[in-house]
Amino acid sequence: MGEQRVFVWDLSTRLFHWLLAAAVTGAVVTGLQGGALMDWHGRFGLSIVGLLAFRLVWGFVGSTYARFIQFFPTPGKVAAYWRGQWRGEGHNPLGALSVFGLLALLAVQVASGLVGNDDIVFSGPLADLVTKDISNRLTGFHQLLSNALYALVALHVVAVLFYTRRKKRSLIRPMITGWKDNAQGESARGGGIVAFAVAVVVAASAVYGASGVWLPAPPPAPKAVETPNF
Amino acid sequence: MVFKLALAALSVSLAAGSAVAQIKPEDAIKFRQSGYTFMAWNMTRIYANVNGTYNKEEVIKAANAIQAVANSGMGALFLPGTDKGTGWEPTRAKAEFWTEREKVGQVGGAFNKEANEMAKVAATGDAAAVKEQFGRLAKTCDNCHDSFKAKR
Repeated sequence: MGEQRVFVWDLSTRLFHWLLAAAVTGAVVTGLQGGALMDWHGRFGLSIVGLLAFRLVWGFVGSTYARFIQFFPTPGKVAAYWRGQWRGEGHNPLGALSVFGLLALLAVQVASGLVGNDDIVFSGPLADLVTKDISNRLTGFHQLLSNALYALVALHVVAVLFYTRRKKRSLIRPMITGWKDNAQGESARGGGIVAFAVAVVVAASAVYGASGVWLPAPPPAPKAVETPNF
Repeated sequence: MVFKLALAALSVSLAAGSAVAQIKPEDAIKFRQSGYTFMAWNMTRIYANVNGTYNKEEVIKAANAIQAVANSGMGALFLPGTDKGTGWEPTRAKAEFWTEREKVGQVGGAFNKEANEMAKVAATGDAAAVKEQFGRLAKTCDNCHDSFKAKR
């Protein structure tokens, strides 16, 4: 097979990637800042729920290199990659580990964030589903785990820079244009408009579920009794 | 002479005793947890008002309550050794609260300043200004929690 241009990342996968990067950045900045920005932290969190749900579906019905089965890092593949014997396009086995790691970590972060609280006024939209004690504990876990997120994101960025600078294989341009130069392999196929629509519907449902708007409203506060002026 | 000294010591200790009532550690922890919980209720009231229909009187009541608690001298409830212990629930005050006094003074002072300002702004009834001041006040809560409240 000769060297050619190969279409690796479909538009949905690229949009997902950059929107997720933006949403995670927003969530981290507002989360660290706290205070009134917690409203925005919650909005970024809900966006991440939608994006993760979309990606989960896209991992089954998306185009060739977006499918989980295509890049699932089996021990055999990782070992082959380690020995320099892996050939292919899309996520390499080590990159795939990072992809699954980041997706799983973000899933845990949104799950704990949805039921968390900031001990001031803000609580996640599903916090009413758990007791305050569990909410407190999961909030502590959420904050602790954010360190793992920083580490994985840093690793991801360093790895991309390493491939770009040292191995002279830009990973950034394909994630923008979708095309990879001097590649060996088939261009991605599949992931049409129907698949996209299904993924969007699932994502929207996930956001609806996570937003907690379906939860019964708390009973209205009783009318305050006028307190005498002591 | 000895008698006079003893009398002086007794009167000093009586005076001190009357100025600051003796508190049992678990009571001190309960009182401070109650104070923060009460302020939390009032914070949610202001939050609900700036994010929904604004009721000036409600916000004034809430802001005044926070200001009163903030200026009540709750520092006295942080008795030595009460970084451990249980009030309504196990305390989450970190040991650093007793060792980093200067920083405690800074975050505490900032909180007091913003709580006082909150009451002032609430009195004007300017919803936009209240929302902004609410953000500044909540931030001072956060700053103290980050340093001195344990995450479980």
